[in-house]
Amino acid sequence: MITLTINGLRASVEKGTTILEAARFLGFPIPTLCHHEGLSPYGACRLCVVEIGDGPGARLVSSCTYPAEEGLKVRTASERVIKARRMVIELLLASCPQSKVIQDIASKHNVRQQRFRQEYEDCILCGLCVRMCEEQMMAKAIGFRGRGSGRSIGTPFDIRSDVCRLCGGCMQVCPACQLRCTYTEPDKAVCGGCANLSPPCVEKEQFHDMMCYMSPCVACEIRKD
Amino acid sequence: MNAHKNKLTSIDAFMALQARLAAHNDGEIPTIVIPAGTCCQASGANLLIRVAKRELLQKKLTDRVRLRITGCHGFCAMEPSVLVEPARTFYPKINPDDMARIIEAASKGEIITELLFVDPETGRPVEKQDDIPFFRKQVRTVIGRNEKVDPIRILDYIRNNGYLSLVNVISRGDPRFVLDEVKASGLRGRGGAGFPTGQKWELFASQKNGAAKYLICNADEGDPGAYMDRSVLEGNPHSIIEGMLIGAYGTGATEGIIYVRTEYPMAIKHLNTALKQARDLGLLGKDILGTGFSFDIEIVKGAGAFVCGEETALIRSIEGHMGEPRQRPPFPIVKGLYGKPTMINNVETWANIPVTIAMGGRSFAALGTSGSSGTKIFSLVGKIKNTGLVEVPMGMTLKEVVRDIGGGPAGKAEIKAIQTGGPSGGCIPASKFDLTIDYETLKSVGSIMGSGGMIVMDSNTCMVDVAKYFMGFLKDESCGKCFTCRKGTQRMYELLEDITVGMGTPEHLIVLEELALAVKDTTMCGLGQSASNPVLSTLKYFRHEYERHIHDKRCDAFVCKQLVGAPCQAACPVDTEPWRYVALVERGDYEEAYRVIRGANPLPGVSSRVCDRKCESRCNLGAGGGEAIAIRALKRFVTDRVDASVYRPEPGKTREERVAIIGGGPAGLAAAHYLSLLGYRVTIFEAADRLGGMLTCTLPAYRLPSRIAREEIESLLNENIQIECNRALGKDMTIEDVLGKGFKAVFIATGAHESWRLNLENEHVEGVYPSIDFLKKSKMEGIELARGHVGVIGGGNSAVDAARVALRQKGVTGVSLFYRRSRDEMPAYEEEIEAALEEGVRIETLISPVKIKVRQEEIETAIKEGIELHTLVSPVKIFSEEGRVVGIECIRNRLGEVDATGRRRPVEVPGSGFSLALDTLIIAIGERPESGTFASMGLEVDRSGRIKVDPRTLRTGLEGVFAGGDLVTGPNTVIDAIAAGKKAAQVIDGYLQGREVSEPSRATLPSVFIPPATVDDSEAGVAGRAIPPAVAPDKRTKNFIEVEMALPEDHAQSEARRCLRCDLAFTREASADQ
Repeated sequence: MITLTINGLRASVEKGTTILEAARFLGFPIPTLCHHEGLSPYGACRLCVVEIGDGPGARLVSSCTYPAEEGLKVRTASERVIKARRMVIELLLASCPQSKVIQDIASKHNVRQQRFRQEYEDCILCGLCVRMCEEQMMAKAIGFRGRGSGRSIGTPFDIRSDVCRLCGGCMQVCPACQLRCTYTEPDKAVCGGCANLSPPCVEKEQFHDMMCYMSPCVACEIRKD
Repeated sequence: MNAHKNKLTSIDAFMALQARLAAHNDGEIPTIVIPAGTCCQASGANLLIRVAKRELLQKKLTDRVRLRITGCHGFCAMEPSVLVEPARTFYPKINPDDMARIIEAASKGEIITELLFVDPETGRPVEKQDDIPFFRKQVRTVIGRNEKVDPIRILDYIRNNGYLSLVNVISRGDPRFVLDEVKASGLRGRGGAGFPTGQKWELFASQKNGAAKYLICNADEGDPGAYMDRSVLEGNPHSIIEGMLIGAYGTGATEGIIYVRTEYPMAIKHLNTALKQARDLGLLGKDILGTGFSFDIEIVKGAGAFVCGEETALIRSIEGHMGEPRQRPPFPIVKGLYGKPTMINNVETWANIPVTIAMGGRSFAALGTSGSSGTKIFSLVGKIKNTGLVEVPMGMTLKEVVRDIGGGPAGKAEIKAIQTGGPSGGCIPASKFDLTIDYETLKSVGSIMGSGGMIVMDSNTCMVDVAKYFMGFLKDESCGKCFTCRKGTQRMYELLEDITVGMGTPEHLIVLEELALAVKDTTMCGLGQSASNPVLSTLKYFRHEYERHIHDKRCDAFVCKQLVGAPCQAACPVDTEPWRYVALVERGDYEEAYRVIRGANPLPGVSSRVCDRKCESRCNLGAGGGEAIAIRALKRFVTDRVDASVYRPEPGKTREERVAIIGGGPAGLAAAHYLSLLGYRVTIFEAADRLGGMLTCTLPAYRLPSRIAREEIESLLNENIQIECNRALGKDMTIEDVLGKGFKAVFIATGAHESWRLNLENEHVEGVYPSIDFLKKSKMEGIELARGHVGVIGGGNSAVDAARVALRQKGVTGVSLFYRRSRDEMPAYEEEIEAALEEGVRIETLISPVKIKVRQEEIETAIKEGIELHTLVSPVKIFSEEGRVVGIECIRNRLGEVDATGRRRPVEVPGSGFSLALDTLIIAIGERPESGTFASMGLEVDRSGRIKVDPRTLRTGLEGVFAGGDLVTGPNTVIDAIAAGKKAAQVIDGYLQGREVSEPSRATLPSVFIPPATVDDSEAGVAGRAIPPAVAPDKRTKNFIEVEMALPEDHAQSEARRCLRCDLAFTREASADQ
């Protein structure tokens, strides 16, 4: 057994446990995006960063991949963690604003604005689908290609893979291609960020203090009619 | 020498071979050593080798002269080079035609002096390689072995004590010895992070995870501008093999892998050869030297992804996966390649191991500093004279590397920063060049040692562009796994791109900094964690450059195209469009050319004679190694030819507000002119009896004829302008007086008319004159103050003016000019210095006057007619007799360290004092504003007498009072004064109309399309810069006729045809759209 301290609380966990598992066991929430219980940890989205160590040696690590170590001191919501996490969310919003999952996370962390060139990408390369295909579906039909800004996910040579059984597992785990927020249909509304504004977005002329992630924004479209 | 088929089966057999080779080491036979690494071959080493071989065979010299082909020696700027041993004569930049002579001379033990390297400091040829400044300060324990061995001959390596360290280690039979030695040496990883090697090895040795343990040599060198690993791999592959063998012996590793990038074909070839030779000789493989110790090495070729230099990515790449880092822990030392313990060291670390064992850990530790021992190889590249590989002991200062070894800047521009550690490193500003090179110090200033790239940057390098370059590299080379690294580098690149194209806002800097810190914090591997360094370090040390790009939309290094437009125009303080009038001259449309010139500059005739030509210094033709377009000469051609009446600006409707201009020099005149055109009623108060300031009071007529200045000044006046001469601020009136007379705004531009003093005794005796007084007397009153032998102290334009004016006065027999630095540092315009020398001015530099002195017999004889330049001298004393100067005492100087102005500081040479007899002494060491009384009127005056203003708005602390020109900047050029006046008109207009005064200035991009001339290749090949004709020196020394004449029409046209037309990049597309 390994003993570590999370947010001042001592915990004993089995060897091989990650910080994320240990923290969740203790009830500390850590947001994740590329993490999935049934899949191997990957550490791509960096949303789950936590602070370890003390003083000048303190650093941020992804809790989903970092193994619990004897005597490790972990802070899951220090100022540094929150700041970094908010920047990760901002970057996610800048790339993939239409994702329900990302909107939910943004709303939860009160990130309402992103300051970069707006993109509308349909993939954030979290790799959930690749791992799903390989580890759960035993297919290995898709994988990563390229590096840096040229990185993408697909089948080899973009030809339909013989090993793909069209199981849909990849789509099931994808956080980026799920339905977008629909404010005027409250039962389907996700983040509710716009509804919680005062006055709500449909009644306001223009937003100066908050950027709407929607383009087109469903609420705005309705108002126009 | 044939490769030995006989495998060595015992240590004794190896020692016998070594002894035999050493005995045959014919040190006396001259050997031609030709470095032939990849870089050397690119500069032509292969041809040299072919010629040398042919020569040796044809002349049957093979017994008397040997030839050795080696890897890179490091002095890349001087490739292809030849080293002759044993004399160690170094011949740089050898032409193949000279090879025969070199071989001939080498066979006779002679030296060809004219082919030797010439020390730029002393101007003398240097015989021995080790005496060349580039090599002198280096300690070449690793790279120095390159010149001794032919990399494809193992016996060469063994002869030079190769594999001796290995044999020494094996024969002791104690792996612990290796660990102890490496630990004692204090060696740290040379790959970048600097982890103590001994500690790593000990940890690895203690791993007992199954049978297999791997050693990896990380030869995935990918930093832009770094190539030391390649040079070691190519030039001395056996040293790496030996290092790995020693490592394997010490740590119990079973297998070795050299991970090298495919882009290094020669390194791979040499490594393969070396591995085979070592195996054949029984130094590698099973049962090495019959001792039972087994270890083999294989080569894995990487596909050149930068991230594969990161150890976990490298391991995955060897395993056949994508090169993607993974979480550490577990560290590779515990769980690495194929899940087995794996130890990775950099090429240079491995190459250091045999050296460490041979020297002994303790003596290795004595090299360098206590925290960082040994030497480090750097690839010194960029804007530096001596590019190449340098190996220095840790703890040397950056200054020593840059100035002493690197030889200083490559061009005229000053070095402003050095970038270490590649894309993961940072930029260190020149102000921190006193720092020592070691892991901790570099880290403390936001950079890293990295693998050893050192990119030198000068003032023509834009730091925002540098950050953008590295970010562009990283966004392509990030593996892309971590979202914050992939997107973060892309977003940082976008932000930097916005800034470089002029779309940056202050918000950009805030976001950039926040993002950079977040990327540093949230990424998994070293690449991501250090990816922000280029941005953070430039933001830290060069924030002003970012701010210039954002607030002023200016790139002072003239790199960011969208902010520069045409460089000639961007360089001009008054925003003239030189490209435009040059093109118009080419088309023969001189009147339109005049209108273009006059539209931007109210004093075109004056400027075409005395402008300091910032446009030409930025001309792309000059920057590209050619000669800049003679823009000023073309302007002179136009202004001389076209009547000023073709440009007639109409004054706007008259306005109520009255503006006072104090000072009728170029700044005041320009301000008055533009304000009057806007309809304001302007009154110019001038202290002298005429308008023009320095133009009409001091500028000698042979440079600027009085008629030109007078006519041009008169053309600026109109009914809105009133003139009151002989009214000096502080003497005849105060600012309060002026404001009290109903003026709504005041612009003060009284210039800098007071000469600095030497503060020596006897400075006020007769015959000693400040240059301004001397020039004023001559120009305004026609009084000739100089007689006999005249000494002028100073190196600026007013010193040279004074010297040349003195020479034109009747009673003068000779003129000597004394300057405390050398001629290269003289601030005067080069062509003025040239002209002065032509006329007979003697210039003496690096001299400071010590005292002004009585006439002495022995120095009398030293005085000759004409003017001489004495450089590197400082005056220390002035001597007088009966109240009149009779001589000075000077002291000689040498150039010392570079000072804050970027010039080398003169340092007095003790005991070098000497005396000179003089009849007149003119002191021209600079001017300052006559602003003694200004402080009492409420203006803020600094120590040099300059008025403090807000540089954007020209506002002083007093409401409605503006200031500009030399009064604000200190002595400066005419064109800068005109620019200040122009700006003053703009801001005063804004102030009076209640508009926001400060508006972001931006280089105007060329917008008018003028079809380019068709120039065929034959013409383009021969065309050189046009030189305006001048009056011959003997016809001009005793009169004031204008020296320089206008270009003849055909010369002007062909000069204009040379223009590269940088404007077309902006206007051609626009015209095509229409």
